[in-house]
Amino acid sequence: MLRYVAKRLLLLVPVLIGLSILVFAYVRALPGGPAIALLGERATQESVEAINRELGLDQPIFVQYLRYAGNLIQGDFGSSVLSRRPVVEELLERFPATVELGFAAILFAVLAGIPLGFVAAKRYQGVLDNTSLVASLIGISFPVFFLALIMKYIFAVRLGWLPSIGRLDITRSLEHPTNFYVLDAIIAGDGAAFVDVVAHLLMPAIALGTIPLAIIARITRAATLDVLSEDYVRTARAKGLTTAVIDRRHILKNSLLPVVTVIGLQTGLLLTGAILTETVFAWPGVGTWMLNAINNRDYAVLQGGIVFFAFLVVVVNLLVDISYAFLNPRIRYQ
Amino acid sequence: MSIAEAEASQLAVEQPSGLWSDAWRRVRRNPAAWVGAGLLLFFVICAVFAPVIAPYGPQESVGSLAAVPPGPSAEYPFGLDEQGRDVLSRIIYGARLSLLVGVVSVAIGLSLGMVLGAISGYFGGRVDGVIMRFMDLMLSIPGFLLAIGLVTLLGRGLFQIMFAIGITTVPIFARLLRGSILAQREADYVLAARSVGTPGLRLLTVHILPNSIAPVIVQATLAMATAIIDVAGLSFLGLGPNDPGLPEWGKFLAENASRLQNSAHLVFFPGFAVVFSVLAFNLIGDALREAIDPKLRA
Repeated sequence: MLRYVAKRLLLLVPVLIGLSILVFAYVRALPGGPAIALLGERATQESVEAINRELGLDQPIFVQYLRYAGNLIQGDFGSSVLSRRPVVEELLERFPATVELGFAAILFAVLAGIPLGFVAAKRYQGVLDNTSLVASLIGISFPVFFLALIMKYIFAVRLGWLPSIGRLDITRSLEHPTNFYVLDAIIAGDGAAFVDVVAHLLMPAIALGTIPLAIIARITRAATLDVLSEDYVRTARAKGLTTAVIDRRHILKNSLLPVVTVIGLQTGLLLTGAILTETVFAWPGVGTWMLNAINNRDYAVLQGGIVFFAFLVVVVNLLVDISYAFLNPRIRYQ
Repeated sequence: MSIAEAEASQLAVEQPSGLWSDAWRRVRRNPAAWVGAGLLLFFVICAVFAPVIAPYGPQESVGSLAAVPPGPSAEYPFGLDEQGRDVLSRIIYGARLSLLVGVVSVAIGLSLGMVLGAISGYFGGRVDGVIMRFMDLMLSIPGFLLAIGLVTLLGRGLFQIMFAIGITTVPIFARLLRGSILAQREADYVLAARSVGTPGLRLLTVHILPNSIAPVIVQATLAMATAIIDVAGLSFLGLGPNDPGLPEWGKFLAENASRLQNSAHLVFFPGFAVVFSVLAFNLIGDALREAIDPKLRA
């Protein structure tokens, strides 16, 4: 097991090197540049050159890459051209916002999706099964930003039940030791702030979680249907175990394996969905940060952000592979 | 008549049913497939006969400029936009763009992905290793992020957008076809064809590909749905087609997102046009998958 993990980690190295080259080349190929973004279209030749010199952009391209890669290894992603702050610092501030949103979305998707898929499978081809199948197909047909806009219209504009933008009411002050606002509110012991944070989180999380919910429900249903006809389920029934025990210990546990895979595969979808959801709800996360970086040609932020996103996707996939062994003892990695 | 002959004639009575005729029969029995096909047909008719069906032109101003344009009425069932253009007509013309984006971007991704996947799966070895590592690399960047990146790089022309979305589907098609070919490559009928001296390329195109293509077709249908959603998403982020007159649904919706409070019809009608066109492809793709995947057969 340990050897397998080590091997997988080692295989990450060429992927990350390839990725860093790809991203580096991509960012340099973008039309315009940080000097133009900073100074505007009418900048003089001299001022553009001065800025390029300052940022090291006058060096040969491979020198730039080596310096960039060297810094990357030391965890230095460079500084944002616009804010002049280190990318890592901004990332640490933005990242918790996106993780909080993504985690809440996945939590919603899992808590609703697994029971829904399970019950649908148990009532195979019944009304509930057919309804949930159709509903899940409609669910995955909604662009995430459109769903977000509809929810915003109904629950914020029409009903006024929920706040429509941001993570916290601007009049409220809260210490941010972790930047996970839910945790921050708990640490501060501020009940009112906690309610406010959760209220702000609710709509974005549900909008972002709906597509994963539909996918998880479908996969749970299919996996449960597979397991239902297994011999050991029949044996368990023949032994006289109660339905509840069979459902929990024999069926659900064994049908979770593909579900875990799918949850892992959702990470990429969740991150890109976050870009759109964050835009609708003015959520100060990684998504809106990178969109700004694209519009402003903020090289360092863009490079750091993409490499970080990709790294995250790769690591989550590794975690998913490892979790197989825990869920299914038949799988043993060599 | 000998027993063997009798058996042979009896066997001949039962038509051998192939993969495709089996699949077709199952698709026809699936009501979801019919709904999907009906929806798709509806959108295709809108796209092809837009000038006949639409009451006005996509750019034609029939009302006056208004900060808060009038909503749905008997005269204009979907209301007017801020420039006094008929929303219904713009949405009917928009069907052309969405279908075009779906078909062209998937065609780009499919052709590149299939060539790479076929080379990888057929030749194997080092070629396979290099191609697949590169595909893994591409897959590690979330598809929509890759599309955003490519559009930023290439510019916001309609073709560039379709190309960018197509590229994001390349690794999916390549891996799918490769896996499918690997499963077929060692099959007896391939060995038989090889042993009678069928040349390599013919072996691939005539024998292996037709038997490996089913999952790719399913994926292509579903990819069209994703392509329509992605182009709407790009538009929403301000990275949609830069031609201001194009009645692209996502762009239409995005431009009016800030008018949600007073003119919700400008957001809802184009939004639901996207949803229903995507649903059409999802319903068809899903029915095809169920028909082809032996595991899902009841």
